Amino acid sequence: MARPNPSPDLDLFERGVLVRLSGVDAGYGGSTVLMDINFEARAGEVALITGPAAAGKTTLTHVLRLALPPRSGRAVILGGDIRRARPRTIADIKRRVGYVAENPVFIEQWSTFDNVAMPLRLLRHKPRDYADDVQELVEFVGLGGAADLAAEKLSGAERRRAAIARALAAKPDLILADDPTAGMSPADGRRIVRLLAEMRRVGAGVVIASQDDSLAECAPMWVWRIDRGRLSAPEQTAEANDAEAFE
Amino acid sequence: MRNALAGVERAIFWTLAFAAFAAAAAGLAARAVDRVAVGYEQARTAYAIVRVEAPDGPEGMAAAEQALASAPHVTSAAPMTAGRAAALLGELGGGVPPEDMPAPRLIEIELAPASPQTDVSGDIVAALAQGGVTAEVIAAPDEGAGGGLAARVRAAALWGSILFGLMMGVIVWLAARGLAARRREMVTVMCDLGATRGQTAGRIADEAAVLGLYAGAAGGALAGAAAVIALLLAIPGASLETLPAMILPIDLAPVLAAPLGAAIAAGAGARAAAGYFHGQAARLG
Repeated sequence: MARPNPSPDLDLFERGVLVRLSGVDAGYGGSTVLMDINFEARAGEVALITGPAAAGKTTLTHVLRLALPPRSGRAVILGGDIRRARPRTIADIKRRVGYVAENPVFIEQWSTFDNVAMPLRLLRHKPRDYADDVQELVEFVGLGGAADLAAEKLSGAERRRAAIARALAAKPDLILADDPTAGMSPADGRRIVRLLAEMRRVGAGVVIASQDDSLAECAPMWVWRIDRGRLSAPEQTAEANDAEAFE
Repeated sequence: MRNALAGVERAIFWTLAFAAFAAAAAGLAARAVDRVAVGYEQARTAYAIVRVEAPDGPEGMAAAEQALASAPHVTSAAPMTAGRAAALLGELGGGVPPEDMPAPRLIEIELAPASPQTDVSGDIVAALAQGGVTAEVIAAPDEGAGGGLAARVRAAALWGSILFGLMMGVIVWLAARGLAARRREMVTVMCDLGATRGQTAGRIADEAAVLGLYAGAAGGALAGAAAVIALLLAIPGASLETLPAMILPIDLAPVLAAPLGAAIAAGAGARAAAGYFHGQAARLG
């Protein structure tokens, strides 16, 4: 099932459209990686961006996490036109995006708990207010026993789980995961994707970029295929809210 | 300041401490030069010799002594003995035995501090004339004989120490950038999580400032200890009991300024570097 092409709208966010890219080009230095990208992500839905290596998945993720400004086109993310937004507005929007990087960066000497709590500290929440929630989150991603362990001591899979916990800590409106299953067994990878997809139930939009298109079987989602910087129209794997069909 | 004194941070700490030590030591040296110059100037301007020309004989000397007792600027006056005159000549290379020395018609006087514009010699000659004595001041404060040297030396010491302190501040500033580089992962994390440039740079700057404060305190304390040892060695009869009376509050300024200066320079250096790193992390491409 193809979704109609997105159309410009100013109050997109209030209508549940978390991301809308229209005719976006982006790249690094002299090279253009993404060309004429039209993309949309909505609250309570999961989008899988899949394609071969070097197709532009990570670059698209960088655009969505506001780290790579589009060169042309229109990009509205969480209600903000990011080509026109001031740095402070960009920072405000970033705080509402939970990002799981392909190679997550942590403050290595800090404990898993402290790293996961970092988004809440930035929001000036007090430790006594968030301690229970963060502990619960750490346990939810299966790192209950490693909460006090320094991030540098975590294995690759544990780091990814910790990154997911950190991305979810501040209850973001949009969750981005760049190749979250890389280096994991298929079973672990699917568990991670299901875990991320669960976030749609609390109203968040979830965008997963991965080479593995079989992840589309993990949960109902929109599948966007990207190849050589061009994104094709999405297909829906099942009814967007029919999670039971996959469980 | 988690693990602030571990590994590379320890090296940065001691770099900051060394710079603070050098700056504080330069400041203390400048204070020492200042006090020596002030002492020299006071000694130079606080002494004069009056040669009594008339009336002749012991009456003239007595009248001069009496007139000087109430003369302006004079704190004490005493006729120079033959022995004292022989000793002074001896210091200048003359070898006259005291018994061969004629009684000099000279009076040594000690002077109170006066402004450079004051004509001390003229005031003393006038006071003696009022007492019926004709006299000449043969050694008195004179701008032409070394006058102003102390002021120039004091200014040179002050500005030299300030310049040196600024150079050490630059070293601290650069070293603190190293700390910010060590915290690059934190900058990246904060940037990715939506921290503004100011938040990120402020977090790193705070840490650097605390490190600078501690390092500056260590450097300042070491400089103070070195200064105490130097004083004990340089001043005959000085002891730990007598030193407190010799030290003015302002002499402690370089020691007290070291932690503050190091904290400010380190905070500024780290803030600038962290802001730059944040800019790099915030905008790819």
